[in-house]
Amino acid sequence: MRTALHAEWTKLRTAAGPRWLLLGTIVATVALSTAATSMATCTAGGCGGDTTRLALTGVCLGQATIAILAAQTIGGEYGTGMIRSTLAAVPRRGTAFAAKAVALTGVVALGGTAAALGSVLAGRLVLPESGDRALSLAGGPTLRAVLGTVLYLVLIGLLSLGIATAVRDSATGVGLVLGLLYVLPILSATVGDLHWRRLLERAAPMSAGLSVQDTTDPGGPSLGPWAGLGVTAGWAAAALLAGGLLLRARDV
Amino acid sequence: MTPAVTPYPPGRGAGFLRVLHAEWTKIRTVRGWVTGLLAAAPMMVLAALLAGVGGNQEGAPPVPAGPHGGPVTDSFYFVHRPMAGDGSITVAVSALTSSIPKGPGDLGPGTVPWAKAGLVIKAGTRQGSPYAAIMVTGGHGVRMQDGFVNDTAGPPGPVSAESPRWLRLDRSGETVTGYASTDGTHWTEVGTARVSGLGSTAQAGLFVASPPAVRGGGTAGSVSTATFEDLHTREGRTGGHWTGTQVGARSPSFAGYPENTSGSFTASGSRITVTGAGDLAPAVRDSLPTGGHLRDLLAGTFAALIAVTVVGARFITEEYRDTTIHLTLAASPRRSRVLVAKAAVLWAVAFAAGLVGTLLAIPLGERLARGNGVYLFPVSSATELRVAVGTAALLATASVLALALGAILRHGAVAVAAVLVATVLPCLLTALPFTPAGLSKAVATVTPGAAFAVQQTLVPYHQVASNYTPYYGYYPLAPWAGFAVLSGYALASLAVAAVLLGRRDV
Amino acid sequence: MSAAEIVVTGLHKRYRATRALDGMSFTVRPGLVTGFVGPNGAGKSTTMRVILGLAAADAGTALVAGKPYRSLRHPLRHVGALLDAVAPHPGRTARNHLLWLAHAQGLSARRVDRVIEQVGLTPAARRKAGGYSLGMRQRLGIAAALLGDPPILMLDEPFNGMDPGGIVWMRGFLRSLAAEGRALLVSSHLMSEVQDTADRLVVAGRGRALADAGVAELIAAASGNRVAVRTTARPDATRVLGRAGGAVSATGPDTVTVSGLPADRVAALLTHGAVPFSELTAHRATLEEVYLELTRDAAEFRAATPTEAPR
Repeated sequence: MRTALHAEWTKLRTAAGPRWLLLGTIVATVALSTAATSMATCTAGGCGGDTTRLALTGVCLGQATIAILAAQTIGGEYGTGMIRSTLAAVPRRGTAFAAKAVALTGVVALGGTAAALGSVLAGRLVLPESGDRALSLAGGPTLRAVLGTVLYLVLIGLLSLGIATAVRDSATGVGLVLGLLYVLPILSATVGDLHWRRLLERAAPMSAGLSVQDTTDPGGPSLGPWAGLGVTAGWAAAALLAGGLLLRARDV
Repeated sequence: MTPAVTPYPPGRGAGFLRVLHAEWTKIRTVRGWVTGLLAAAPMMVLAALLAGVGGNQEGAPPVPAGPHGGPVTDSFYFVHRPMAGDGSITVAVSALTSSIPKGPGDLGPGTVPWAKAGLVIKAGTRQGSPYAAIMVTGGHGVRMQDGFVNDTAGPPGPVSAESPRWLRLDRSGETVTGYASTDGTHWTEVGTARVSGLGSTAQAGLFVASPPAVRGGGTAGSVSTATFEDLHTREGRTGGHWTGTQVGARSPSFAGYPENTSGSFTASGSRITVTGAGDLAPAVRDSLPTGGHLRDLLAGTFAALIAVTVVGARFITEEYRDTTIHLTLAASPRRSRVLVAKAAVLWAVAFAAGLVGTLLAIPLGERLARGNGVYLFPVSSATELRVAVGTAALLATASVLALALGAILRHGAVAVAAVLVATVLPCLLTALPFTPAGLSKAVATVTPGAAFAVQQTLVPYHQVASNYTPYYGYYPLAPWAGFAVLSGYALASLAVAAVLLGRRDV
Repeated sequence: MSAAEIVVTGLHKRYRATRALDGMSFTVRPGLVTGFVGPNGAGKSTTMRVILGLAAADAGTALVAGKPYRSLRHPLRHVGALLDAVAPHPGRTARNHLLWLAHAQGLSARRVDRVIEQVGLTPAARRKAGGYSLGMRQRLGIAAALLGDPPILMLDEPFNGMDPGGIVWMRGFLRSLAAEGRALLVSSHLMSEVQDTADRLVVAGRGRALADAGVAELIAAASGNRVAVRTTARPDATRVLGRAGGAVSATGPDTVTVSGLPADRVAALLTHGAVPFSELTAHRATLEEVYLELTRDAAEFRAATPTEAPR
């Protein structure tokens, strides 16, 4: 496992793609977050909503580049045929897959931390005095929101890795992941029945997982911050399991 | 001596048609691509099915419709008595104050720009019945309104005890004329309305309405109280008491009174105080939350978008992966032609699949929704056709955008993500409750997601304060203007791709 | 210029720091198989891609039937190409792969079936190309090249991945195509394959043509006037032949190689001097030797060029 992990880490480190995508994640996240906070209308009472969540809006965008990065780590190998070399070097496919997942987790956690901290920092600079109070990292809920956002991005990376492994193509993988993330909430909004809508919102990986960013009314209509992230973790685990099992079962 | 070889005799068709034919053969011979593109149709139908059966409004009170056929809010407090034939009614309004809940059960003073207090002549107290009214408003001065959708501005400025406003309505047959005055003697005509269906005996009197106040991304119910003086009627009077009625007390387009308030009127001497809530106006998405509209039935567009985007990107990036592109360009050395042919074939197939999807999904969804008692905002068949064709064109154009980005980036996953982020994420951002309205309108104007304006069927009204945001189905751009934004992105990307394809070695 | 000719003149191309082509010039003539040999990185594939208009040269021209490739109206009817590493889409059948190519040239499905038959792929034509072996993919590539029945064929490494039976088939097939009057450019790094197939040879090295001549001519030039002699009396042989003006070198415990004397003169001298010998053969160089000699010369020449000297 250690050598396999080392190999995966070297692959990620030496290719230019992941580096750019990680940089893109940070830039995109901070940029959209800053745009969102700068357009908020703030009064002395607050900014008409959850300031922390607003300052972390950019994650909606940043998760897309994370999805590409993750899908590419395996989809790219299928595209070039390098997967054969990878599995020839580490014949125990479960180990090879786990090594990929662990290396990816490290990289995404690194980029995610930079993106989340950058967003909150930008929010503090952009917002007037009233924002400062809410965005102080000393405050428990904001710290939890930042930490949760990093974990959320890691889980999205793993979800994408699992799906891309299952479909053996990074473009299709990214399409499916973004479908799950973006389209599920939109589809659920059209369901008229309130009970079903609530259920769908709680089951969708993005709307559930991002409830970890709620600081004003945690646990209100949503599942609660950690339970919500748990739903996303469930999706990631299911995708990894499906991808791992298919990787073991199929010829390459 | 070697025998001379002559080239194979030329076949049929001109240059571009051949490239087109080749690309058509390419796309139709990879099963995954065909499946992906054609999947757009069942995805639309499936989503329409889901949306159609998902809501159940059976047993809910019917949505009132106005004389123009559209849904209306016809819920207000009416102090009235019958008026037979032609006649006239006059009153002075000396105060109009509104209250908005600050918290549960805690009412505070507030501004409701479209709070209304004045005179109305209405066919009856049935919701949706024709009327003409003249009124003072919270923030828009004196207005003359009729038929729910017509609105004429009168003298501006608020009312107070020091500067009251006299209002008058004259009925003569089907014609109702409204006048305003600052002293009760010098009148200016505000407007004239032809109101058919008032009947021989109409109900005439005072009314107060108070629509929900727009706050942040939502609304809060409000209640308003007006003070009237000097109420008198001439001619046509059939006598009887003044009756206070809450018109449309139970209606899908009326959210009800704030907690611990209700409609009422009290008379002391010549002074009448009336409290009311609701509105006398066309219903918008915000005021009719149970109403569905065409866009809801087409949520499958997003799923279909993903399918056609993935195929669009793979249509070119897989040529790079397999280096089939070498063969393609060796066979057709005029490279921009290849790109245009690819785009044309892709657009046509995606458009066809999308159109089949929308043409099936719309009537199916409508039928299912109506069967479940869901009220749908009415649309003309021309609008319906525009939505169907526009949605199919949106899918096809997004797919071409993915193709162009795929050609530029030569990387399928990045191209797919870029298109989805550019088209779907704006819609999602506008759907989040905490997204500032400014950001919401900006992304719906400048991003390719602006193209979803082709699905707009709702009409905003200036005389109804509401959240006219993409989330509620109101787009900042006109339908085809929104589509033009996406097309602009697609064409510009295609141009860049053509230049790069021409310049790069493959 | 004939419709069946490729003329490459002074091609130069750089990829960032590497000089891929450095004055590549040669001509491919009708009715002949021209071998295009050289090690990896000699510029063979780049030259072929420039000829096909897939890559742009910084300087120089590559004309096909007298025109730049990209100006041909129906290019596949002039030149058929088998490109190295081009794989058909794994989801497409061989027949469909050829079909789109045919449609690009306004050719019919009948022509597709004809070339499939010609390369012996008929039984597998309706199977997805994803499951093809390398040899089958090569046959499919040849079929694609033949589609427009072109007077010029350009084949990049056609022997790659072929089994011995396939190699024999390919050799005969190439000869028969040349016999029909077509011009063939066949690149390979397997010199022995080219030696048995080609009439002419273009030897590429460091981005230029080191030689452009007939195969027999090249081999004769490289063989020189050398004779190998097997003898039990090596010192005697060396003395007798050396005195007659030959340069003798020992190449084994009982063999010497003589250069500067024809074989019949060597035999006469040895017989006259009563030197016993059991075997006497005129040495014939292989293409490998030709190639090594040419590239060695080129290396020495380049090292001596002042412009290449380090500053």
